[in-house]
Amino acid sequence: MSGLDKFSEKVTRNVARATSRRSLLTLIGGALTGAAVIPVLPVSRAQAQTHGGGGDPVAPQSSGNPQDPGDQTKCDYWRYCAIDGFLCSCCGGSPSSCPPGTEMSPITWIGTCQNPADNRAYIISYNDCCGKSSCGRCLCNRNENDRPMVRPQANNDINWCLGTSSSVYNCSTAVILGVALEQQ
Amino acid sequence: MKWLAVPALMLATGAAVATPGPAGPDAMPGVANPVRARQHWILQCQGCHRADATGTPQTAPTMAGFVARFLQVPGGREYLARVPGVATAALSDADLAEVVNWSLARFDPAHLPADFKPYTAAEIGGLRSKPLRAEASAMRARLVAEFDETDVTTPK
Repeated sequence: MSGLDKFSEKVTRNVARATSRRSLLTLIGGALTGAAVIPVLPVSRAQAQTHGGGGDPVAPQSSGNPQDPGDQTKCDYWRYCAIDGFLCSCCGGSPSSCPPGTEMSPITWIGTCQNPADNRAYIISYNDCCGKSSCGRCLCNRNENDRPMVRPQANNDINWCLGTSSSVYNCSTAVILGVALEQQ
Repeated sequence: MKWLAVPALMLATGAAVATPGPAGPDAMPGVANPVRARQHWILQCQGCHRADATGTPQTAPTMAGFVARFLQVPGGREYLARVPGVATAALSDADLAEVVNWSLARFDPAHLPADFKPYTAAEIGGLRSKPLRAEASAMRARLVAEFDETDVTTPK
């Protein structure tokens, strides 16, 4: 045991001789500054923001139907699981209708979202509303089953204002087309 | 994470498509499960071709009342399986054959030849391995030019 005592005494004395109390303060100060900088990094900001949006002063909207839960002006509403754009709910429309003065694109991209009320997959059509400049409220970017550009029919980054008289994008809806089949 | 299982199971069930479905006198040839075929149509085709397969001039040509005419000209049967949207659809060969057979019977029964043999998974699998790219529109124009213009059932 005396060997261990001697060893630890030697280490302690070496540390005391080689370092100053100021260097400890420097170390703590550096750690504090470093910790303050971490939330500034883009990774942390992306995590805090989850699906984008937020901060837009839009009153909550609900269908009032227990089978269709959630706030339709929030990105995490279940039907928006693959949406990329401004929510029509925040722009004078609804999740399934366009704001006045815009035209719903007949050409869409279609996917499935799981409804938390019954845990079933529903087929959702993301029809864009077109003909007025970008709404600018409630930007959401959720990408479930989004595919890269090489599969344009399943890519939500492109402008889906196709087949309309104007290709100017205003906002996006999420229309229920039906219940997806139960998988065997 | 359950949504991940949907496409995975869609592919998995494609392997089991040989299971016989309801085969009445009105059954669509080569379509084991019309409900499944329709769902594949919705998820893979309808976004551009629209629910009634009329399409739009800017995006996808009309199929309704038209598509089965390709079966009446040489090379048309191969074209329908090699056209980009069909050949590159995220479906198994069996599911793809089923949805192609379904769309022919659903959207253009009037032009379906009496001796029409449904696409099989093996045939589709062979044809889709040589997908058309930029040449698709030229081939389409050539095939359409061969259509029998005396056919009065064609909507204009």
